[in-house]
Amino acid sequence: MVLTLIVLLPLAGFFANGLLGDRLGKPFVTVVGCGLPIIAFVLAIKSFLVLLAGGGTPIVETVFTWARIGGQSFDIAFWFDRLSAVMVLIVTGVGSLIHIYSTGYMKQDKSYARFFAYLNLFLFFMLLLVLGRSLLVLFVGWEGVGLASYLLIGFWFEEADNARAGKKAFITNRIGDAGFLLGMFLLFWATGTLDMDRINAAFMSPKAPVVSASLVGILLFIGATGKSAQIPLHVWLPDAMAGPTPVSALIHAATMVTAGVYLVARMSGIYMHAEGASQVVAVIGVATALFAATIAVVQTDIKKVLAYSTISQLGLMFVALGVGAYSVAIFHVTTHAFFKACLFLGAGSVIHALSGEQDVRKMGGLARKIPVTFVTFVVATAAIAGIPPLAGFFSKDEILWFAFASERGGSLLLWAVASFAALLTSFYMFRLVWLTFLGKSRMTPEVEHHVHESPKSMTGVLAVLAALSAVGGFLSLPHFLEPMLPLPAVPEHLHPLETPLLIGSIVIAFAGLAGAAWFFGNGAVRAERMRQRFAGLHRVLAGKYFVDELYERLLGMPLCWISEHVFLRTGDRMLFDGTLHGLAGLARRTAGAFSRVQSGNLHLYALLVVAGIVAGLAWSFRFV
Amino acid sequence: MLLLVAMALFALGLIGVIVRRNLLVMLMCMELMLNGVNLSLVTFAQQTGTTAGAVLVFLIFVVAAAEIAIAIPIVLVLVRQRRTLDADAYTDLHG
Amino acid sequence: MIDSILANLDTALLYVFALSALVGAVLMLVLRHPMQVAMALISTMVSLGVIYGLLGVHFIAAFQVLIYVSAVMVFMVYVIMLLDTRDASFTHRFSLWVLPGVVFGVLLFAVLGYGVVLGVDYVANTPASFGLAQFAAAFLTEYWLQFELTSVLLLVAVVAALAVIKGSKGRQRG
Repeated sequence: MVLTLIVLLPLAGFFANGLLGDRLGKPFVTVVGCGLPIIAFVLAIKSFLVLLAGGGTPIVETVFTWARIGGQSFDIAFWFDRLSAVMVLIVTGVGSLIHIYSTGYMKQDKSYARFFAYLNLFLFFMLLLVLGRSLLVLFVGWEGVGLASYLLIGFWFEEADNARAGKKAFITNRIGDAGFLLGMFLLFWATGTLDMDRINAAFMSPKAPVVSASLVGILLFIGATGKSAQIPLHVWLPDAMAGPTPVSALIHAATMVTAGVYLVARMSGIYMHAEGASQVVAVIGVATALFAATIAVVQTDIKKVLAYSTISQLGLMFVALGVGAYSVAIFHVTTHAFFKACLFLGAGSVIHALSGEQDVRKMGGLARKIPVTFVTFVVATAAIAGIPPLAGFFSKDEILWFAFASERGGSLLLWAVASFAALLTSFYMFRLVWLTFLGKSRMTPEVEHHVHESPKSMTGVLAVLAALSAVGGFLSLPHFLEPMLPLPAVPEHLHPLETPLLIGSIVIAFAGLAGAAWFFGNGAVRAERMRQRFAGLHRVLAGKYFVDELYERLLGMPLCWISEHVFLRTGDRMLFDGTLHGLAGLARRTAGAFSRVQSGNLHLYALLVVAGIVAGLAWSFRFV
Repeated sequence: MLLLVAMALFALGLIGVIVRRNLLVMLMCMELMLNGVNLSLVTFAQQTGTTAGAVLVFLIFVVAAAEIAIAIPIVLVLVRQRRTLDADAYTDLHG
Repeated sequence: MIDSILANLDTALLYVFALSALVGAVLMLVLRHPMQVAMALISTMVSLGVIYGLLGVHFIAAFQVLIYVSAVMVFMVYVIMLLDTRDASFTHRFSLWVLPGVVFGVLLFAVLGYGVVLGVDYVANTPASFGLAQFAAAFLTEYWLQFELTSVLLLVAVVAALAVIKGSKGRQRG
């Protein structure tokens, strides 16, 4: 009952805010919109305590039977084990914090009620996703969060660009979903069930199912690529920054984009027996991590830097999944949720303070003016860079260690590329700090005049998240998840290298910090010189490797051409309209021809009567 | 043989209705058709020996008389308005 | 011997008057003046009356002449004389559909003739085996309903004729 309540409370919030919000005013929306997620969080904690008391045995709640087809029945059931507990706590906890933040950020917006309705809707679908027992329920949640993402990205849909970004997100997701569906079909065909625990058991049992685990693994990963913005379906996430900043924080940093990671971790039973698929996951993960990190170095929009940072961090999570360290990936999901949400909300605070300015070239010198935002932002930046003892250090170090040493795919090359990506992460994040907060002010005078610290609802949340980013590393989630997601084995001879690699990670983090200070301190003169020296490389990076243009050329234009020429002109106009008009014309002409028989001429009528009689009589002789 | 004659009279009457333009001539050809039918009925009555054919002939006499009693006044009324007996002039019901 | 001549005479007369009827009918189609057409029709009707008499149904023959010739055709002749107009139908006797009409008429005759030839023998020259008394009685017993209905029909005809003439007169006056 409790799990169902956790899922349904946000849904009730959606209906209440959506239907009554405009009429009952902002206070009502605030109380309902924030209160229900907070209650859900409390219930989640309660369930977590029950789970611990039970020693970790999963809590199952079957709500009702959705369909019964043949001998199969498909139920809506909720499953609460250690992994679900972590995810639900993140979703409801960080979600509630962001709801509270939104009351301050969206205070002046005229569609306040609609915003909270959509946020609650998103929460409902996300909880459905992480609590579902079968792939079917997960998929409903999967699609639902895609819908909520579309609605929220295009929240200010009066601007055509925002609506277009929303569309892009939804369509790119859909492409990934095709792979996901194929994977689901194969799994159902091979194992006869869609319940994830049963599927994992089927793959772990000695008698393996008929279908190739790698094939299913790759198909499910294609879905994860779409949702978690990996190459080649990453193109929607930077554009999604068109939505309000709380949306970027909640959906595109903390929760929705981690659904792909959750999916792979949940189906670990399959991936443990799928060498090929795991390798693909790791390779794409590390490639995406590097790719996005290089682009983030030259971005000038504060939110775009954070977007590419998210893509890069997700890549690292997939690296962990690819080498079999599933619990480490979930650990990074948790710490990432803390510091990335803090970063995004901090960026929102900066934008709020600067009355809408998002270009870092027009910022600077804000440290004294908005101190709370500055401090929380720096803490979160240090966390993401991996400076000990903040949260990011623990999770990232574990990822790098298993990327090097895991027996299930770890290699020196993987570690080297991932470490380089980590170096770049530290570098561009501290670059962001320098350009935004430090140095001389490059703001326009009117903007500078109005700079003010954000209200308590916003700064309070920032403080909480910064604190979590600081201490979250000590949660030691991999140890907590060990009973159900064991860590991969490490060869004996590599054990001594653990400490040197640890020190290496710390060096990388500080190297990034030093590099950023070198290039972007003192008015960023050296950075400017570098940019001019490598102008071509800068152009490629700033143009995001021109992937969007490539897709447009390769897919967009041919599809448009086919739609226009084949389907519209030939198919629709010529075939369908032509057939209809042709038939109508035929009917008209035939009727016209026939109507000429009725000429009013008596003799003709008599003649026709005779002709009919003759024909009738001649016909009747057949039967004589 | 008489049956063939009866049929010939009927066919000729029908041809007459189609071929001639004068309204009164058309009426007279219709009388010819009725006469052809009468002949065939009498032939049948004589062949089978029952009274049915003869009775029907008698009824046809009555009907023919009634018919001509009405058809001619109609023609008169028509002609009074259009002043012509040409059937081709009365084509108002075309479509 | 007289019987054989008489028997042959019967058949010969039959043929002669059948021919006469046919000639009258064909003439009807080709003569120009309506009065000439009426005369041809009268000759056909009289020939038919003779044929009926030869066949033995003398009362039918009598009524043929009585009703058709003296009532119907006289009325027809009156109207022809009344409406003696020289209009287009006088100069151009035939309608547009002359050829198709003749063709289909011939086809009709062929089809009907075929039907007749299929199953019927020639007429036997035996006198009718029913008498006038039997014929009259039939009207009052077996076919009494048709008899009554014909009286109704005649009433209707009278009313209709009056209505047509009165109606047209009304329009004329107004």
